[in-house]
Amino acid sequence: MTTVSTSTNQAAAATAATVSGPMPLGRALNAGMRQALATNDRVLLMGEDIGRLGGVFRVTEGLQAEFGEQRVLDTPLAESGIVGTAIGLALAGFRPVCEIQFDGFVFPAFDQITSQLAKMTNRLEGAVPMPVVIRIPYGGHIGAIEHHQESPEAYFTHTPGLRVVSPATAGDAYWMIQEAIASNDPVIFLEPKSAYWHKGEVDTTAPALPLHASRVVRRGTDVTLVGHGAMVGTLLQAAALAESEGTSCEVVDLRSLSPVDYGPILDSVRRTGRMVYAQEAPGFTSLGSEIAATVTERAFFSLEAPVLRVSAFDTPFPPAKLEGTYLPDADRILEAVDRALTY
Amino acid sequence: MSTQTFVLPDVGEGLTEAEIVTWKVAPGDAVQVNDVLVEIETAKSLVELPSPFTGTVSETLVEEGVTVAVGTPIVTIEAAPSSAPSAAAPVSGMHGSGAGESPSVTPEAGAEGGGAVLVGYGTGGAATSRRRKPAERPVTASVGVIAKPPIRKLARDLGVDLAAVTPSGEAGEVTREDVVKHASQASVFRNIETPDWPEVREETIAVAPAAASASPAPNGVASPFAQAAGRVESIPVKGVRKATSTAMVQSAYSAPHVSVWTDVDATRTMELVKRLKASPDFADVKISPLLIMARAVIWAVRRTPMVNAAWVDGDGGAQISVRHYVNLGIAAATPRGLLVPNIKDAQDLNMRELARALEKLTLTAREGKTTPADQQGGTITITNIGVFGMDAGTPIINPGESGIVAMGTIRQKPWVVDGEVRPRYVTTVSGSFDHRVIDGDGMSRFIADVASILEEPALLLD
Amino acid sequence: MTQPEEPELVRILAADGSLAPNPAAEPYLDLVNGLADSDLETLYRDMVVIRAIDRQATSLQRQGQLALWPPSLGQEAAQVGSARAARSQDHLFPSYREHVVTRIRGVDPIGIIKLMRGLSHGGWDPTDPANGNTHIYTLVLGAQTLHATGYGMGLVFDGRCGTGDLERDEAVIVYYGDGASSQGDVHEAMVFAASYRTPEVFFLQNNQWAISVPVATQSRTPLVRRGEGYGMPSIRIDGNDVLASYAVTRRALDEARSGEGPRAIEAMTYRIGAHTTSDDPTKYRTSEEEQSWAQRDPIARMRAFLENRGAPFTLFDEVDAEAAAAADDLRVRTNELGGLERDSMFAHVYTDPHPLMDEQRRWLAEYEASFEGGTR
Repeated sequence: MTTVSTSTNQAAAATAATVSGPMPLGRALNAGMRQALATNDRVLLMGEDIGRLGGVFRVTEGLQAEFGEQRVLDTPLAESGIVGTAIGLALAGFRPVCEIQFDGFVFPAFDQITSQLAKMTNRLEGAVPMPVVIRIPYGGHIGAIEHHQESPEAYFTHTPGLRVVSPATAGDAYWMIQEAIASNDPVIFLEPKSAYWHKGEVDTTAPALPLHASRVVRRGTDVTLVGHGAMVGTLLQAAALAESEGTSCEVVDLRSLSPVDYGPILDSVRRTGRMVYAQEAPGFTSLGSEIAATVTERAFFSLEAPVLRVSAFDTPFPPAKLEGTYLPDADRILEAVDRALTY
Repeated sequence: MSTQTFVLPDVGEGLTEAEIVTWKVAPGDAVQVNDVLVEIETAKSLVELPSPFTGTVSETLVEEGVTVAVGTPIVTIEAAPSSAPSAAAPVSGMHGSGAGESPSVTPEAGAEGGGAVLVGYGTGGAATSRRRKPAERPVTASVGVIAKPPIRKLARDLGVDLAAVTPSGEAGEVTREDVVKHASQASVFRNIETPDWPEVREETIAVAPAAASASPAPNGVASPFAQAAGRVESIPVKGVRKATSTAMVQSAYSAPHVSVWTDVDATRTMELVKRLKASPDFADVKISPLLIMARAVIWAVRRTPMVNAAWVDGDGGAQISVRHYVNLGIAAATPRGLLVPNIKDAQDLNMRELARALEKLTLTAREGKTTPADQQGGTITITNIGVFGMDAGTPIINPGESGIVAMGTIRQKPWVVDGEVRPRYVTTVSGSFDHRVIDGDGMSRFIADVASILEEPALLLD
Repeated sequence: MTQPEEPELVRILAADGSLAPNPAAEPYLDLVNGLADSDLETLYRDMVVIRAIDRQATSLQRQGQLALWPPSLGQEAAQVGSARAARSQDHLFPSYREHVVTRIRGVDPIGIIKLMRGLSHGGWDPTDPANGNTHIYTLVLGAQTLHATGYGMGLVFDGRCGTGDLERDEAVIVYYGDGASSQGDVHEAMVFAASYRTPEVFFLQNNQWAISVPVATQSRTPLVRRGEGYGMPSIRIDGNDVLASYAVTRRALDEARSGEGPRAIEAMTYRIGAHTTSDDPTKYRTSEEEQSWAQRDPIARMRAFLENRGAPFTLFDEVDAEAAAAADDLRVRTNELGGLERDSMFAHVYTDPHPLMDEQRRWLAEYEASFEGGTR
């Protein structure tokens, strides 16, 4: 295996120059992590199959060859072990970036994430930060077997001490992974796996937005549609269909699930008076429920209709043949839009 | 030495009570810190309690075999203060269910407590609220009304009671139009305290002392009725009342008065006033629509100077003296009566200075300190009858001037905006003018100009 | 208590205090012989003082000054020996009963008091050099073993071990118990430790009880065999023998720091006291058992050893006085502890600024100010 490059700055410059043009979201993550590894030698990646194989989605392809086995670790098959040792590494001054191979497999690490990682800095009264990123491919639409299409975001947004973000585009993926690594707090980085191969423009010159900012991605006047991750694409589809029917929808990409940047959302709702939140996660006690309640509280006098939520049904993720029925699609979103307009 | 009290601690993370099993000390015994005082039995185990103090046992407060709640004093000890725990309350009970620093109330103790509660939940014991005052309950009965949040806000802003509005929405909800329509009717009848008819049928007010030289009333009518002793109040006319009446007669019966008026949408003025009020540059001055009206009048005078003139009788014939400065009179109802002090050279003042001058004028008048000099030399006057709720009037021109503008009340009324009926802040601008000096076109243009500023204050940038 | 094929344990001091190393102890005797009289006295002093402090802390709980106290009574030798074996550059990860370990490394016991009194979830700053690289207590059983292993991985990656310089190479020692040894995290920590050859010693105090559950329920095989299963050398010691604890741990740490990979030690000891002040051992174990272990008390045997060596009688009086003073000092300082600033709960939830923390801190301040008579 090659040794760690000694001229890391050169490598970084070369890397930046070659990144351009539309690229798949997974590649953008790869490029972002490469930048982080090259510019800060305390950064290391760890997870199952991320080194020699490059990750089951190839997101970390080539990075172990470039940076070596002590910067890109193939770990034993133990999620709690991955997160727990990452905490120890953070105590020793490293900035670990863990990969949990699939959303459904994060649960063995749940105690280390919620009881330990989320609370460690607080328990230490600020003495040691926990700059740990936990990358998790999440969401459905890939026809996979059980445990491979979960949307566990609510468990983590509900945990004080964690930050939770999810890029929807390649451009955001490139910058948000770097910003997450640069954050001094634990970040749960949710990667919409169904979008890993979706191509998008990546501007490598500067990030467009801070990590915890939401963004209006489509202007409209009648209804505000909000969502995160893969759902943003579905919202845009729904908006296009609505347009053809004479309804103008504004679409907001949440980007940061915790903390939530309510500014653009409230501004939008105050103009449209109607809002729909769409998510792949089951609806009961979900992130969408929190956002709906807060928007209702803060934009109450602007609401012509209650804030509606479009979510998956409150069942375990069904066998993949039913995922089309289970997960919200453009029609489910439009059903909510129609309902919002009847008020 | 001081008497220290040892209360029963929570020795097991959430225990609420314990039984005193055996006292290991008696009153009069000397004890050291950590000597065992008593053995207690909790739900979890038998526990010895060590003394927190060094000293002499004063009194054991609970008998053996008795169960008491956590926090109950169980023994007192005459102790050297240095050995005592700090005044901060002990930690025990912190982990109890909501007990805080006081003992949790056992169900037996706090059985009273109003309100129907399901069996098994208990009443939670007595609690007090430290809130300064409970929230003011809005006095509206609109809870049962169906209306969307923006409509509720609109109703509140317009002062409309939703419960009194007839809903016309398909789902039985009150609509925007319902509220607006209701608002425009609502202000017709005011809740005015109208006094009863006095018992006396007539009241006579003598106008002048017997030797007064004031012009007689046109029809020469003297007080027609004899005063019925004790049932009639006579107010001698003196001071301001006399001056006012003199001026009014002089003005009304020398200048032919003509009044014109127009309604205007003053919403933008109200918005400007709001913004000025919020601006740090105007934080220290009083901002009101009257300020905008004053600027409007000054601006309109530039365009129709004749309203700012005076008819001057003279030996060689009459002359019209057109003043190219504005001493802006503001009619003020004061404790002394109606006074019309004026702001000298108001045309030279910027917004802040004018606001200051208005404020000063008003305060001075209110304190009754307006001087004769303040009232001399006015060139045009504004009378604010809007504060009394009036829309328009036919005011009498201040002697020595040719025009007087009446500022009406500004209230929300239905107005047509972009083809739709919308609630807007509407007011009437009216005025009376001396037709010797100015004709209908001039006075109309002047009033229209003043109104146009109220409609679009940006015209002041001209 | 004995089972067939019981693994050998290392013992140097017999229960009666006589110097009686067994065959398994032979390889470690040079380390014991290298201890000066003052070192031996220190080991004794450490144990006596902490026992007095420990007893005082239990009294404080009974006086309503602490919510809880987990006593370390009976485990003094296992903890003192291993803590004194660690070098100043080493990193220690305790569970929640290692009071003397933290004290030996320089942590003020008032820090543990704060944890038990509801004033802190930690109690001291591990990055403060005064605290001797001692991590705070971990209350989730076994979770700290992964943190320790991760730290050890960091030492490997940074080249802070394995050079052969014993004064510079750093090692990690992590403490856990027989109950915790059943937790999955402990298993995973050993997997990772072996895989990355961390400079780490897994120090298991088998005090025979996990609250009310005896160790026989935790494991059908002696716990010392666990380490072997992961590929690391594993030694069982008489945990009530402070000399064995010292010598075996010293050797294990020096081998680990030199690049030979992780080691495991099982210290056989006994939890003389209850699990915590909320527990009642009379409900699940016999006084006969407690008595039998009392005869193997770690302090008594060390005292006897020192007496046999001719230590002056004054030594023991001095140590007792020092212990009483330390305990009383802790009692007084505990009673003087104040409260917490209300908005301190927002201070360290995140390292970077966070809008929700600002919002809620502001809200709480306004809410409290709205009351009659201002804030509580």
